[in-house]
Amino acid sequence: MTVSAQQNNAVVAELLSLHGKDRSHLITVLQDIQQHFGYLPRQAVTQLAQRTGISANEIYGVATFYAQFRFIPPGEHIIQVCQGTACHVRGSWQLLQELQQRLGIKPGQTTADGRFDLRRVACIGCCALAPVVTVDGNVHARMTPKEIALLVKQHSGKKDR
Amino acid sequence: MSSVNQAKVNPEHKHKTPTVKLTIDGRVVAAKKGQTVLDCAGENGILIPHLCSHPVLPPFGACRLCLVEIEGMRGYPTSCSTPAEEGMVVRTGTEALKNLQRNILSLIILEHPGACLLCEKRQICDEFRPDAEKAGSATGCHSCGSRDSCEVRRLAENLGIKELPVAPVYLNRPIEKTHPFIDHDPNLCILCGRCVRICKHQHKTSVIDFTDRSSRTRIGRAFDCSLIEAGCTFCGSCVDVCPTGALAERYAKWQPAPDKSVKSTCTFCDWACELEFGIKQDKLICTKSANENIPVCALGKFALAEFLNGSGRLHSCYVRTDGILRETDWQEALAAVKDRLWNYRGDKFAFICDSTGTLEDRFIFRKFTRDVMQSPNYIELEGADQAFKRAAVPAGVKAAFISGGCIEADSLSKLEVLIIQDCYPSEASGRADVVLPVRVLAETEGTIKDRFGRHRPLLKACEPPKAAGSEWMIICRLAKTFGAEGFNYEFVADITKQLNPPPAPPEIQTGQTPGPAQDLKQMRTHFRGHRIDGHVGGLRELNAGPEPAPVSMPAQTKGTFEILDNRRLVPNTHEIVIRAPQVASKAQPGQFVIVMVDEKSERVPYTLCDWNIQTGTITIVVQEKGLSSRKLILCKPGSKLAHVIGPLGVPLEIKKYGTVALAAGCYGIAAIIPVARALKNAGNTVLAVTEARTGYLLYYGDRLRELSDEHVQAAIDGSLSPRGHAVDVIAGRLKSGEKIDCVIAIGCPFMMMLTARETKPYGVKTLAALNPIMLDGTGMCGACRLTVDGKMKFACVDGPFFDAHLIDWDELKDRRRAYSAEEIHSLAATAPAERSHTCARPINR
Ligand code: SF4
Ligand code: SF4
Ligand code: SF4
Ligand code: FES
Ligand code: FES
Repeated sequence: MTVSAQQNNAVVAELLSLHGKDRSHLITVLQDIQQHFGYLPRQAVTQLAQRTGISANEIYGVATFYAQFRFIPPGEHIIQVCQGTACHVRGSWQLLQELQQRLGIKPGQTTADGRFDLRRVACIGCCALAPVVTVDGNVHARMTPKEIALLVKQHSGKKDR
Repeated sequence: MSSVNQAKVNPEHKHKTPTVKLTIDGRVVAAKKGQTVLDCAGENGILIPHLCSHPVLPPFGACRLCLVEIEGMRGYPTSCSTPAEEGMVVRTGTEALKNLQRNILSLIILEHPGACLLCEKRQICDEFRPDAEKAGSATGCHSCGSRDSCEVRRLAENLGIKELPVAPVYLNRPIEKTHPFIDHDPNLCILCGRCVRICKHQHKTSVIDFTDRSSRTRIGRAFDCSLIEAGCTFCGSCVDVCPTGALAERYAKWQPAPDKSVKSTCTFCDWACELEFGIKQDKLICTKSANENIPVCALGKFALAEFLNGSGRLHSCYVRTDGILRETDWQEALAAVKDRLWNYRGDKFAFICDSTGTLEDRFIFRKFTRDVMQSPNYIELEGADQAFKRAAVPAGVKAAFISGGCIEADSLSKLEVLIIQDCYPSEASGRADVVLPVRVLAETEGTIKDRFGRHRPLLKACEPPKAAGSEWMIICRLAKTFGAEGFNYEFVADITKQLNPPPAPPEIQTGQTPGPAQDLKQMRTHFRGHRIDGHVGGLRELNAGPEPAPVSMPAQTKGTFEILDNRRLVPNTHEIVIRAPQVASKAQPGQFVIVMVDEKSERVPYTLCDWNIQTGTITIVVQEKGLSSRKLILCKPGSKLAHVIGPLGVPLEIKKYGTVALAAGCYGIAAIIPVARALKNAGNTVLAVTEARTGYLLYYGDRLRELSDEHVQAAIDGSLSPRGHAVDVIAGRLKSGEKIDCVIAIGCPFMMMLTARETKPYGVKTLAALNPIMLDGTGMCGACRLTVDGKMKFACVDGPFFDAHLIDWDELKDRRRAYSAEEIHSLAATAPAERSHTCARPINR
């Protein structure tokens, strides 16, 4: 999703009128911008800087300090690999490695084509099915590196959302 | 960065502030109310280690080095954030505190390439290398441009850090070299935050800030944009306060450290900012704002030194004879000026200058025009801030004397006689009858008038190039040549006395009104009619806008020698595989090739580290030093090099020595590969010892284990065992009576000198590989001369191997500095310096 400059300005202006331009509300405004766009677009941060007088560099500094903010649109598909104890002993780290290699990204990153987000999560409560991987919330049980390859392939096709 | 003053200046307190009395280390001292314990101690000559604190910035409390003991307070408070109070009893530098401080500093050094701080041979190393050596990225103090001003280094020396708890790591963050003027190496950053805070303090906004968190925290800009896009004015204040080499001046950082500082005034524009000049042997090295609370603009901070030291400066007089400008001396030049102007006295003559000169200069110009040339045509261009004006000659004028190059091109053709005095050649000087070289900016002295009408003294800070004279003095001498009276001024002060005192000006502090230092658009573009950016690389980048072209090589396809592989082995070191079948078929161990990246680039020698006759490929290992090696390591696989000439040099004599010990460091680790292989094949027992400042700089371990009978890796900082230099390992073996028949050292000259020194007592034959590149870092002609056993040799033809015990190492040490100034200049310019040269001796034998 690309965000037009107009969209940006409107959203930032509205959020600022809601929360006020004070420095103390910066995090709240940033959270709302992310809520709206799914991430913090560069133009939105620039807009915010212009309207508040806080420099974009400082806003970026603040935002990058918190794990919750992201600066590129989230991937189309979100793959989560469980790193809970049960999954771990059943080799979930191998799955993670396989995925990292296949996608060419580390956990917490998005592939360059915007297709996948890779995340690691703590126990998701299906230990009996370990090791577990979820794609867009759907649980895939007793995964093996081979099946991972298949899974990635399935979701790599044309846009299917 | 070569910071001008090391001592911190405490602000003068004009008004009496209430004081408190406290005891520091048993001494009763007075402190102003609200003053911190750190500042108070410092004022009284008690130095408490500190890194994040800075005199003009509020306490930050990040580094925790400034710990003290205060009676009645629990733990160890940070003195930079603790206000002095009545009756306080403070202890600094106790053993307990020192231990804590050592621990804190060790942790900093773990993530900072500070291995040199732990080197046991630091002292002789410093003596051998009076200046830091150029490198693309610093991997230790000796390849860091900020070595001599680094506060981490000074603290480590004072506190005496002997070892690190665990092996250090290299942060491996991309180094930013594409900003105008400023190099940013985040691998050297200790996150003290001074840069962020000074920027905010001086500009009331953040151009740079801490970004990201935990171990990824760094100094950055929004969305990693460029400094230009982030709104930087290039005042350079962040560079000046940085205690390390993380932020450094591309131009000044490889210059020798200044030995004195002079306060004077910038005369690029009429804001007339006060500057502090760093001077080394009468040469201007660097500048900075004289007031740490007020920034200056990029011209004052960065352009001044580069402009004054530019290689194009006019440094002698020229007189046109037979249509050609020929170099001559002052006497002849002034006689020629008189000759040509004599018949143009009266209103056929005009004198033209702009308002950047001193009041004294202009007083004399006016007097000369009126009294000697008897002309009403004295034209002084007003120095408008941005808009640049050129003068047109009034109708009827046939002869002009111009100080500078600010004349309209159209006017030039109307003139019958043109005399120019200037600092750089210009279009006008190219058509002049006489050209005289002058001193400008920090080379001059006198009085200047700033934009608020104040008269300000201008002190001379540095020496001009060769013959360049003061403008007032030149004109006075000229007037005397004309036989005129009233020009008998000996010193500039004699003229100053005759100036009209200025009307009482309003009391205005420079910097209060936003000037060029806060607003790039107000920055002057011209000086004396010259585009300033014509002589200052960084300004060209700045004017080019946000995406400056990096010094990168587009994949070239013109050459013949294809690069097949290029990978980084360790920081600052690349392994490059090149297709060069001719070279590969003839290569012998110890030989080198000369590489030219493109037709115009320097010829740089590199030792052959490996070759393969079947595939027709050769391998060289390149350390990034100056511009040429940078160009080479930026070449992508697939690109082609213009020339690879070789193999050159006398190969190592391969025979059966018995046991051979190889000592190798930096590029030598790769260079011993063919040597080890050949010696082994000839039936020798090979001991290969490699050294590096720290473990993460060692490479090729597996290959050497395979090729030698024994391979030892030594780390100077103790991150690997054994600790020390390669020769320490070899000398240890010799000491214990082990038989070694020959030692071969390949590495930096210091390491080879050390090897020679330590093996000498044992009388073991020792060879050192003196490659031309190692002698001056660039492989420039004649620079590879050395003395061996009292005889003059050339490394490029007689070398590379010489008897290490017979080499005159002291001579080498001094020679290594000879060529650096020009190299530094070329590094500061973005566009690769287009220079070519030929070696002093024939290389194709
Ligand atoms: S050069 Fe000046 S404006 Fe630019 S980042 Fe440094 S302190 Fe800030
Ligand atoms: S760049 Fe220099 S001044 Fe800035 S935080 Fe790093 S070490 Fe400190
Ligand atoms: S504003 Fe810049 S050019 Fe003008 S006097 Fe100050 S430092 Fe020099
Ligand atoms: S100087 Fe006090 S904490 Fe850094
Ligand atoms: S002697 Fe310390 S690294 Fe060279």
